[in-house]
Amino acid sequence: MTALLELHGITKTLKGQKAPRTILDGTDLTVDRGESVAILGRSGSGKSTLLSLIGLFDRPDGGQYLLDGRDITRLPERKAAALRSAEFGFVFQRFFLLKHLTAAQNVAMALVNGQGWLPRRKRRARTLEALDRVGIAHLAKHRPARLSGGEQQRVAIARALVREPRLLLADEPTGALDTETGNLVIEVMRSATERGCGLILVTHDWDHANKMQRVLRLSDGALHPATDTRSVASVSGPARHRAAMGMDRTDAERSEVAR
Amino acid sequence: MIRLSGRFRSALIIGGQGIRARKTRTLLSMVSLFLGVLAVVVVQVGAETTKSARLADLELHAGKDGTRQTYLPGNADTIQIGQDTLKGRTDAVAISFTQAIIGEPGVSPVNPGGAPFDQPGGGQYAYPDGVEIFCDARGYCQPMQVAGDAPDVPVPGQAIELSLNALTGDIRQFRPFRSVSGQWLDFSSDPSLSPRIVVNLEAAKGFMRHQVPAEMRVEGTTANPTPRIIGVIDDGNMHPTAYTRADELQNWVPRSSNAGNYGPGLQVMLAPTAGDLEQLLRIRLTASGMPAEQIHFETIQARKEIAKELALIRWIFLGMAGLVLLIGVAGILNVGLATVGERVEEFALRRAVGTSRSLLAGIVLAETLLTGLLTAAAAIGLSALGLTAISALFGDRDQFLQDLAFPWQAGVAGVIAGLAAGLLGGLIPAIRAARIPIATVMRA
Ligand SMILES: Nc1ncnc2c1ncn2[C@@H]1O[C@H](COP(=O)(O)OP(=O)(O)OP(=O)(O)O)[C@@H](O)[C@H]1O
Ligand SMILES: [Mg+2]
Repeated sequence: MTALLELHGITKTLKGQKAPRTILDGTDLTVDRGESVAILGRSGSGKSTLLSLIGLFDRPDGGQYLLDGRDITRLPERKAAALRSAEFGFVFQRFFLLKHLTAAQNVAMALVNGQGWLPRRKRRARTLEALDRVGIAHLAKHRPARLSGGEQQRVAIARALVREPRLLLADEPTGALDTETGNLVIEVMRSATERGCGLILVTHDWDHANKMQRVLRLSDGALHPATDTRSVASVSGPARHRAAMGMDRTDAERSEVAR
Repeated sequence: MIRLSGRFRSALIIGGQGIRARKTRTLLSMVSLFLGVLAVVVVQVGAETTKSARLADLELHAGKDGTRQTYLPGNADTIQIGQDTLKGRTDAVAISFTQAIIGEPGVSPVNPGGAPFDQPGGGQYAYPDGVEIFCDARGYCQPMQVAGDAPDVPVPGQAIELSLNALTGDIRQFRPFRSVSGQWLDFSSDPSLSPRIVVNLEAAKGFMRHQVPAEMRVEGTTANPTPRIIGVIDDGNMHPTAYTRADELQNWVPRSSNAGNYGPGLQVMLAPTAGDLEQLLRIRLTASGMPAEQIHFETIQARKEIAKELALIRWIFLGMAGLVLLIGVAGILNVGLATVGERVEEFALRRAVGTSRSLLAGIVLAETLLTGLLTAAAAIGLSALGLTAISALFGDRDQFLQDLAFPWQAGVAGVIAGLAAGLLGGLIPAIRAARIPIATVMRA
């Protein structure tokens, strides 16, 4: 069975202040269905750039991008929009809720995007279900100004989940939250993966990263398996156990296995 | 189909949310656009109203568009052929012209030559001996020297001179006279021995002012008939004029006497559908010896002439209105660009959740188009209201003001102006919105 997503030798060069800068330089990544992956990396290492390529916000300069084994490296924008709607859910560091809309309307925004049409009643049911999954169905009528940071981020997660995507892309979703709220938000997203949704989490927080099945580090434009540099005692979670037991494979190895 | 309607409905919802969230801005856009659209609508109302007023005028005088008409010489043969050919036809009419004096016998009329009554000097023209006024069929009169010795001019008395038009059928299908009072001539009954006549407003004025006995002197009559005035109409003619049935007048005036001194001998008007009649008339006239090149039919094209006449003025005014509109477009554009600048994140986010570029551009454009349309509705509503008010306030001063109606062309022009302004003002913001990179949401 093919992996959900495969990146092979992805390169991306962005215009720098003076000379162009190569941000991604032969990045490989394979994510299975329902798998959760954490990506760590220094600020400016290109984590957001990588996510924007995966989420089809932008196209790579070189390399290959397969989704379900289908090459979508050079997908035209119109089809990319349809894929963004159907396959991906996005959560960002800032919550990006529209302040003139209620929580429910913000969630429904992902349903009112010109990609297929749901009648109002179905939209409402789906919206409430998504809000319920993140535990804030009772706040459906509130506008963002009346929600706490954690609640706002959960609305954003509900918006990302409402179309039942196959891959959740989260770019530092806890960056603007305190530790406790951050933990809650990560927990909410992780529980989504239990229903078969994959998750790529970009984070600076080892505690959050360790809750994912795999932890990778982006440096010099490529992904490498990451090892927790902190004392082993303070770390917990499946990633650490697997790392400790030598279960982590490089992406190259995984590709081998997949073939 | 389903996909399209899904896109359309999504656009409606998003556009509606956008407008609701920015009511003040929408209102400001409308205010900036309002004067321009109003100017366009008002210019069009003015132009159309003037045009229809001029057209109604011209139709009264000259005849409706498409009517085929010709003027034939006034010899007895021609008149007879013309009148006989057209007899009983409802889609054609022949008009012969003569002057008549109604009133006291043996006196000269108060308006010699059939002049209007309200001209300086009260219509009492004093021309040198031997000069008389002659009027042609269109009502243009001019003094002319009468050949030979000056005749004895009878003393002025209680009599009115008017031009008498004898008709073979209902002329109103070509010249839509407005009925003022009484009846119009009835062409279906048998001819009466005392000719029934319908006078125009100017003649009616003369009869009101001067108590004249009802005896009618027509040039060449064998005996003076007593006319019955059965109605008054407005034919747009400022000279006193009367209309009567040709066959009733013929009881008194032998055809041979109508020498055609008063303008053309016979005017023939045909409906556009009466082509057969035109042919028939041509054949009969040429058979009687009239040279074919003397028979020249022309088609009345009043609308075209008026359009030409008004086009320049209309375009000048529309040009000025367009300038005002352009200022409004600049206003919408300004607001639109500011709004897009403010909504960068929203648009990037919408694209991230799968809204396509084209739909996004469409939504921005739809918002300004809707603004333009709302403005057009307001401008049209206001002008229609204004027109109704003018008509109600000043309607009693002039028939023309009373008949004022909002011309649909002005409504169409307003809607087009509103949509065009919305399109112009919304296009650049829409393109900008579509170009916002989605990655904006990651960098913010
Ligand atoms: N639009 C752009 N044009 C040119 N360079 C850019 C652009 N966006 C980002 N960069 C540069 O690309 C590099 C990678 O940026 P990116 O946002 O992917 O880093 P990151 O790993 O997400 O960092 P952080 O952890 O701070 O969010 C940075 O050095 C940044 O300056
Ligand atoms: Mg980043």
